[in-house]
Amino acid sequence: MQLLRAIFSHSSGRIGGAIVGLYIIIAILGLLGITPHDPLMQFRVDRLHAPDATYWMGTDLFGRDVASRLMLGISQSFIVAFASVALAAVAGIVLGLAAAWFGGWWDGTIMRFMDVLLAFPAILLALLIIAIVGPGTWTSVMAIAIVYTPIFTRVVRGPALSLKTRDFVDAARTFGSSRNYILTRHLMLNLVAPLTVQVTLALAWGLLTEAGLSFLGLGTQPPASSLGLMLADSRNLMEMAPWLLIFPGIAIMIGILGFNLLGDALRDILDPRTRRSAA
Amino acid sequence: MGQSLMKKFATSVAFAAALGAATAVVPASAETLRMAWSQDATGLDPHKQTAFSSLRLLELVYEPLVRLNADLEIIPALAESWEFSEDGKTLTFKLDADAKFQNGEKVTPADVKASFERVLDEATGAAARANFTSIESIDTPDETTVVFNLSQPDVPMLTAMTGINAAVVPASEIEAGTIGTKAIGSGPFKLDSWEPNQKEVLSANPDWAGGEVKVDGIDISVLPDETAILAALRTKQVDFALINDPLVATLVPNEASLELSRTPVLAYHVLQLNPSREPMTEQAVRQAISCAIDRQDVLDTALLGEGAVTGPLTMPAYRSDPGALFCYERDVEKAKQLMADAGYEDGFSATVIAATGEPPTAAAEAQVIQSQLAEIGIKLDIKMMELNVYVDTWLKGDFDMAVALNGGRADPYSMYNRYWTKDGNLQHVANYIDDTLDSLMQEGRVETDFDKRKEIFAKFETHLAEVSPWIWLYTGYTYTAQQKNVKGFVPSPTGTLFGLTEVSVGE
Amino acid sequence: MNYLARRLMTFPLVMLGVSVLVFVSIRLVPGDAITAMLGTEAGLLTPDQRAALEAYFGIDQGWFTQYWRWLAGAVQGDLGVSVTFGKPVLDVILERFPLTLELALLSMVIALAIGLPAGIFAATRNEKPSDLAVRIFAMIGQSTPNFVFALLAIYVLSVGFGVLPAMGEFTPFLENPLRNLGQMILPALTLGFAFAAAVTRISRSAMLDILSDDYIRTARAKGVPARKVIWRHALPNALIPVVTLSGVEFGYLLGGAVIVEQIFALPGLGRMVLDAILQRDYALVQGSVLFIALNFMIVNLLVDLAYAMLDPRIRLGGK
Repeated sequence: MQLLRAIFSHSSGRIGGAIVGLYIIIAILGLLGITPHDPLMQFRVDRLHAPDATYWMGTDLFGRDVASRLMLGISQSFIVAFASVALAAVAGIVLGLAAAWFGGWWDGTIMRFMDVLLAFPAILLALLIIAIVGPGTWTSVMAIAIVYTPIFTRVVRGPALSLKTRDFVDAARTFGSSRNYILTRHLMLNLVAPLTVQVTLALAWGLLTEAGLSFLGLGTQPPASSLGLMLADSRNLMEMAPWLLIFPGIAIMIGILGFNLLGDALRDILDPRTRRSAA
Repeated sequence: MGQSLMKKFATSVAFAAALGAATAVVPASAETLRMAWSQDATGLDPHKQTAFSSLRLLELVYEPLVRLNADLEIIPALAESWEFSEDGKTLTFKLDADAKFQNGEKVTPADVKASFERVLDEATGAAARANFTSIESIDTPDETTVVFNLSQPDVPMLTAMTGINAAVVPASEIEAGTIGTKAIGSGPFKLDSWEPNQKEVLSANPDWAGGEVKVDGIDISVLPDETAILAALRTKQVDFALINDPLVATLVPNEASLELSRTPVLAYHVLQLNPSREPMTEQAVRQAISCAIDRQDVLDTALLGEGAVTGPLTMPAYRSDPGALFCYERDVEKAKQLMADAGYEDGFSATVIAATGEPPTAAAEAQVIQSQLAEIGIKLDIKMMELNVYVDTWLKGDFDMAVALNGGRADPYSMYNRYWTKDGNLQHVANYIDDTLDSLMQEGRVETDFDKRKEIFAKFETHLAEVSPWIWLYTGYTYTAQQKNVKGFVPSPTGTLFGLTEVSVGE
Repeated sequence: MNYLARRLMTFPLVMLGVSVLVFVSIRLVPGDAITAMLGTEAGLLTPDQRAALEAYFGIDQGWFTQYWRWLAGAVQGDLGVSVTFGKPVLDVILERFPLTLELALLSMVIALAIGLPAGIFAATRNEKPSDLAVRIFAMIGQSTPNFVFALLAIYVLSVGFGVLPAMGEFTPFLENPLRNLGQMILPALTLGFAFAAAVTRISRSAMLDILSDDYIRTARAKGVPARKVIWRHALPNALIPVVTLSGVEFGYLLGGAVIVEQIFALPGLGRMVLDAILQRDYALVQGSVLFIALNFMIVNLLVDLAYAMLDPRIRLGGK
């Protein structure tokens, strides 16, 4: 609650929060099927129809309503982004804590493996994973999660390592707190701040990566829609039907902008060191 | 990777480097045709390559004994004349005495023999071998005569010989093992350099026996995206281009300085059902699908109407009015009735596979078909696959339905024997065969009289459309776009660019 | 130096990991060089024909043997032969690399030329409308996927102005610099746009941080002119995070920009790897992914070293 109030008193947090909130509402409406038209319905007589009162954002090659598809696309893109970031964050937390806590051989192995994943070109890694497993929503989620896991692992391991050596952990140990208790309570509290920021920024990347994969035809499968898929489909039609490019293009920009603004605000609020620089 | 392969490549690199140095000295002439395409050749061995994009390139460098003209009639290439014996079991060719390879050597009957023996040798790995298995032996009685002795009459073989997979290559290069690394043919152009997926440089072959080429050479750029090709045409950085995507092609005429030519092709768009999978095992279900699909509507939506609805036979000489075939007029009521007859009045779910970008319209076609089949309760899941993954899945027959663009041949037997004969190589993909189809195919193979063949294959087509293992949809076009100053190109339904030999670049 | 040695020692280990990962994953993808070459016609091959082709493509042995052979070559600098190019993998990579390097450099130049002045300007105008304008612009820049920028740019240029980017045959810089730049400028701008936005943001915040530091305040109080304070005292310190960010970003760009190269038809490293994956050119995929990974690690190491050099307060290896 306190955090929410802080976000809304922060100028870019307010805008970012509003955008993300709006998108989440749109995504939920899209998911529930509360759209101007059925996003899958092909109004074949109105193919490539320019925007008007009936079709607010025009229709596509099949005569499907672009506005409705955009809503469905936002929900699809959000599902992939949220699910993959959640997965990456959980994996990153587990691996990062394990590396920091056990140290030594464990630390070396885990971190070298993360180095391998980091050094591997991200889009190619995602591409290979999808080609192996076969495309689909959950494959995209998994592929994006694997690509972003090393980042979370690093974010967690650093602070965890420095906290581990601090006195209060030792003190807790001497007072007989169990190992699990120390891990969850003390370390998590001190990790929440950097993680929250990282999660928000990663959501922006998740949207971006999903769009990139769908753009290459490897993400969301038709006839479902996602922002990247809509952009890919507009590629050869943009001269005949520019609305197919412009609306999803702007939608994806604003969506990512929302997460970026929110991420910035959270960084300012949660990290006292940078608070003064962008009030 | 074998050591010898490495060596072969090393020599070819040196060779290419030498050529590169040589071409750099020659100033670029105004008569060079600048060309672009989106898919590049995948290799230089004329006997091994089967991809359209490879054939398009190799047809300019290599020559077969005979070739097809734009009306799909067999005309002389390396051979001046040919004839079948009375019993149809010997095929004799007379070679053009002037024909020379690009290394200066004459094209001899020994080269022809060596080339066909290479195709027939299983160690070569030539997919086209299947077309030539009735060759028993090859005789070379004199300087210009080649005689093929066949195990059985094989009419379609002559048509198969028009393909670049039956190209004549120098026996000396086969010996040296350099086919596929050096491109030495007898064709109108020499391949000076090839940067895979980037560009190739061709120069006119002054010694070509087939006539005189009107341009000095062709520079081909590989631009992976057809929108980029269109942009290059508009900015006059390219004189001539090959276009696959009808959505891009239809934009060409908007530009006053550009010309688009389109020719119907033999390749056909098809919805392949897998009759070995429930419930497509039921003929009534397959027929219901055929009746539920509005072929013209798929064509109008996914290809913007760029094509013509077709039955199984796509070659002009055999093509008939598709309206006469089973359920080519959409009939949803009949489809529902058929579904009910088969016990599927509530429909069923199935997965349809399609390749990303191959053809460019695949995803769109799948989506229109999906919405049409939904009307009779069939719920389709679309799975878009990267082309190679698709091919692998397709070859294993591991699909319920597949959206495909399958290649056509000038001869119906060569086109379909792989699917619709009992020992067809791809019977495990087609998964349907009956005695009628098999016996009609065998009859057609040995019949030499054209009118009788046509009758046989018309029956074949009617039957195939009725049992509906696949739903044939339509044929599209091959598109070439050119600047207005490019003159003389004649397109062909085979998609060949051999017409470039007649092209000139004006002011 | 101890730190450097320790970092360098992890290189072979990470490279080994990358090589195993790429080796296994590319082979797990259905299809092989034979289906890539023949398409559905591969179904016409007899078993003997197939075996002959597998031997030709070097995929007839078991995975372990294949990997062992490849590794034995790789440690001696022989990355094998690309089956599509018919040349040693390293030659193919080095032919494509100059374009990718040029594109990365151009984007970085654009990013620094725009981002640095904009960031400093915004910092000195903290919270004034001009600062806000710069920040909004930077935020939008950072939120635009590069293919969206590319598509919108092409659309606006071609439909709005009738101008089109040069997309014909690619001309190397040394052959014709002007034509080359004509072809590179739009892709470089595409990649440089988001990059510039990031530079703007980081240089602004770094500058703000430093301007509020004590020693700058002291200098100001002593009457050193504002301009001199900024250029002589604040800038060198503010550069540290900018260098780090640019370095990391540059490292990514050296891996090739798959989508941008595809849209603008540039034969760079990114498109080459994508084509190699699509054609199942195993040796080329392995070699180029390894090459990209090594570049990435070297650039990151250099960034860390530069960081230590620019900021004497940081002692490497201390974390």
